[in-house]
Amino acid sequence: MEFLLDGIREAWHLLLSGDGEVWHAAWITLLCSLTATSLAALLAVPYGAWLAVYRPRGHRLQAFLLRVGMFVPTIFIGVLVYGFVARRGPLGDLDLLFTRQAIIAGEFLLAFPILGTFAHGALTGSDRRPFETARTLGASHTRTLGLLILEVRTVLVGAWLMACARCFSELGISVTVGGNVRWETRTLSSTATLRIRQGDFAGGLALGMILLVLAVVVALAAHRLAREARR
Amino acid sequence: MPRRLLHLAALLGLGLAACGDGQHAVDVRLVSTTSTVDSGLLDQILPAFEEDSGFRVQVIARGTGAALALGRAGEADVLLVHARDLEDTFVAEGHGAFRRDVMTNDFVLVGPREDPAGVREVRSVAEALTRIHSAEGSGFASRGDGSGTHLREQRLWKDAGLDATADPDYLELGVGMGGLIQAASEKQAYTLVDRGTWLRFRDRVDLELVFEGGPALLNPYGVILVSPERHALRNEKAARALVDWLVSPAGHRAIQGYRKHGMPLFRPTGGER
Repeated sequence: MEFLLDGIREAWHLLLSGDGEVWHAAWITLLCSLTATSLAALLAVPYGAWLAVYRPRGHRLQAFLLRVGMFVPTIFIGVLVYGFVARRGPLGDLDLLFTRQAIIAGEFLLAFPILGTFAHGALTGSDRRPFETARTLGASHTRTLGLLILEVRTVLVGAWLMACARCFSELGISVTVGGNVRWETRTLSSTATLRIRQGDFAGGLALGMILLVLAVVVALAAHRLAREARR
Repeated sequence: MPRRLLHLAALLGLGLAACGDGQHAVDVRLVSTTSTVDSGLLDQILPAFEEDSGFRVQVIARGTGAALALGRAGEADVLLVHARDLEDTFVAEGHGAFRRDVMTNDFVLVGPREDPAGVREVRSVAEALTRIHSAEGSGFASRGDGSGTHLREQRLWKDAGLDATADPDYLELGVGMGGLIQAASEKQAYTLVDRGTWLRFRDRVDLELVFEGGPALLNPYGVILVSPERHALRNEKAARALVDWLVSPAGHRAIQGYRKHGMPLFRPTGGER
């Protein structure tokens, strides 16, 4: 028990003393994850909504693929992105391997199915009346879709929070395509792995604690959201 | 609603922009081995080079085998590894412009304090491995990952005429050198480790040095400039500058200056091919 308690005490100390690398890792994590999830939301939500409301040909298959996408392991996404951005890959000339952009690309692929599935789920089979009313009143397709999305925004923010949580804690993408480069692509999870491997248990714990705090913040936000939705 | 979208787009734009800054300023991608990186040497000496030259170095850590593979794939500018045969092959194949000696240290055998295999009494590393192999309940932890350390370990078993995997206590873990020492400590097994990493972890693990010395355990490191004719280097001038610096008196001083417990972890060598 001593080992663990000492570790916690040392970790706490590390956090307070402002170990530059630890807090920098937090910054990188937030930067990459929030950018990726927001980009994903911007694209996946309209897409999922469109699938649900307009039900184009093959909408059922697409909805299913979106759902499958939610369960794809991060290491697979990491290897896939690696294959694209490595020098010999199709996007090799862009020199994106071992950069934050590559991590964002991977986390985008992680977040997209989550947001798309929830957008679709929130609007599928729902009351057609708002849709019909909007269209009757002369709203364009874009405006209509926008209004419907707005109606279910609580669910979507919840989905966004979940996507954030997934991205904060993922390891398979950041390590594979980020390369764990000091001061550049080290996230909380990847730095923790490195620290443990180097025998710095307290450091690993400190990073884990920040991840825990992030998880709590996300959970609190989701909780508040759920409460407001019930009112 | 459009205004909110605008805000979001602005934030995203900022986010993406923030992600790009500083990253394209990398001049040299140095791929080195996990043991070198874990030893902390590069964190210590590279800032001196960066200040002198004005070039920025990005360090990627891999096992030697994987580092050379990255070199072949055109993902590296400079390699710092420790497997002479593989380095020579790499240059012979045309992927490397040339290799130079940089530094050496040595490997040591570490193991449990009680030394169940009686390794402390032996005169040669082959004898040590033979004893570990045959002794019951004395395990050996291996890198199992194509790293320089792993390759040397395999050569030592081969030279001793032993099939390491025949020993039921032989463990192969893919966790890097630091991770391996800790695993060996947890399992109270023997393992081969470079002295630099050993000095760094000595006080944190329940293991002791049980055998050292001899030509079979010498560990020379080489630096390779990836061939600019074969692969597109990020900045050839910067890559050459790094290679030259590592074997220069300034580089030697920096390497020599990295010490733990009063001992330099790596002894600089080279200066000529």
